[in-house]
Amino acid sequence: MLEYLTAGLLLQLLINGILFGTTYGLAAIGLSLVFGTMRIIFLSQGAVIILMAYLCYWLFKLVGIDPYLSTILLAPVAMALGSGLYQLLFRKAVRMEDKNISLLIAVGLMFLLENSMAVVWTPNPRSISTTYTSSSFTVLGLDISFTRLMGFIMAVLATFGVTFFLKRTLVGKAVRAASEDLEATTLVGISPHRVNTVAFALGIGLTGIAGIALSTTYPFDPYFGFVFSLKAMIALALGGLGSVSGALLGGIILGVLESWAAFFVSGGWADAISYGVFLVVLLFRPEGLLVRTIKKA
Amino acid sequence: MESPLLEIKDIVVSYGSIQALWGVSVSVKKGSIVSLVGANGAGKSTLLKTVAGMNRPREGSIFFSGKPLMGLKAEEVVNEGISLVPEGRRLFARLTVKENLELGAYIPRARPFMQESLEWAYDLFPVLKKRSGQVAGSLSGGEQQMLAIARSMMSRPSILMLDEPSLGLGPLVVKVMFELIEGLNRKGVTILLVEQNVYQALRVSHYAYVMKTGAIALEGPAESLLDKPEVQSAYLGALE
Repeated sequence: MLEYLTAGLLLQLLINGILFGTTYGLAAIGLSLVFGTMRIIFLSQGAVIILMAYLCYWLFKLVGIDPYLSTILLAPVAMALGSGLYQLLFRKAVRMEDKNISLLIAVGLMFLLENSMAVVWTPNPRSISTTYTSSSFTVLGLDISFTRLMGFIMAVLATFGVTFFLKRTLVGKAVRAASEDLEATTLVGISPHRVNTVAFALGIGLTGIAGIALSTTYPFDPYFGFVFSLKAMIALALGGLGSVSGALLGGIILGVLESWAAFFVSGGWADAISYGVFLVVLLFRPEGLLVRTIKKA
Repeated sequence: MESPLLEIKDIVVSYGSIQALWGVSVSVKKGSIVSLVGANGAGKSTLLKTVAGMNRPREGSIFFSGKPLMGLKAEEVVNEGISLVPEGRRLFARLTVKENLELGAYIPRARPFMQESLEWAYDLFPVLKKRSGQVAGSLSGGEQQMLAIARSMMSRPSILMLDEPSLGLGPLVVKVMFELIEGLNRKGVTILLVEQNVYQALRVSHYAYVMKTGAIALEGPAESLLDKPEVQSAYLGALE
């Protein structure tokens, strides 16, 4: 295989990894927001992404709405779903000391979504095929897939949007404060439920965008979400909790790692290598590769 | 006779099966500094947390400006005009000094005055203005305490409750801290102070309560308590 190896090929694999890794990054940002304020590992994140992918598929097939245009519908739908899920399923559970209850609810929700999607859309893989889904263009000798580039652009824009919200708005600052010390936020008059609702809406809102990016790039089935949740957790472990750009960067690192592993080892080993890296990071740098530690005030 | 700004009546608080407060009554007049002193574990912080809505009392009542506070959540108590500077400061370490201050004015009542309050806080603590872009976790202990007080003041409270503000600070900074407390009081802020630094606390206070094992052991004008043997005994309680 090495006889085919050129700098151009390495770069091509790098670009492929970066472009798709941002979708992992988006899911990781969502996980980070929910975990940050509520200490919930929202394992159903991937299943919600797949649900959004199916909704995007339906909007395209049944109504003829362009997948990228459906962002303006699906992002708010995902946000509303996020706040609804919090109020309905997690509001009581977050007050409990035992966080395993929240984790069990998330796992239960994942199975509920997976099985419901299998009933509605069958377990057969679906994909969105438009005039541009298989189109690509060449830049400096590198082949760039249009849909992957679009996914990348959407992820970067969404990351900027979330970062702006968290850094520049008072509610966003309250979400960041709550991810440090939820009880202390009540002392300045911030309602923990309001902050949790916002974090959930924002975190799940990103699944709308991730679902579109995924559905236009890969075939998907109802059970693909769990793997996606795990990948988002790996991205989060790489990027570190509490950093939006870190989570995106973690996703990109994972994307590149998978892209290279699939080429140099095999597609089958790519996942195993990702999980191996996950364990190594958790063992030796559990705060994440990209996070600076700040002492507690 | 003028009715008190804050009136705590016969409060009973338990943590599970352990009773922490046994019918405590405290009254704070508008414009005064009232101290709660006593040994570690006497229940001083528990009482402040109960007023702040962080603990649910089993019995008793709390009135603020004549209005009952019982059943209000911590975030609602702040909106009523009571602000707690907790023990250990509980700042948001990864947020900047300015962001911490802005969050202090989060409640709807204080939000429209945020800019004005920020300027007021920077006037009172010029060092915070100098460090406004720094993350709170990088400040010194004294600066963090100033930030914690300034953050609480951003909500424009009628009463400020300070839990061990001198804890962990060097002697010079402690002196500055007590001067600051007196200064705030001169500006019209009513203060309920919990301190282990008993002599400093009594020196700046108008009235004081000595707490011992979850109950009020003694009370009176602060000056009159300075020489009382019961004050010393309350501190040595653990050794008795």
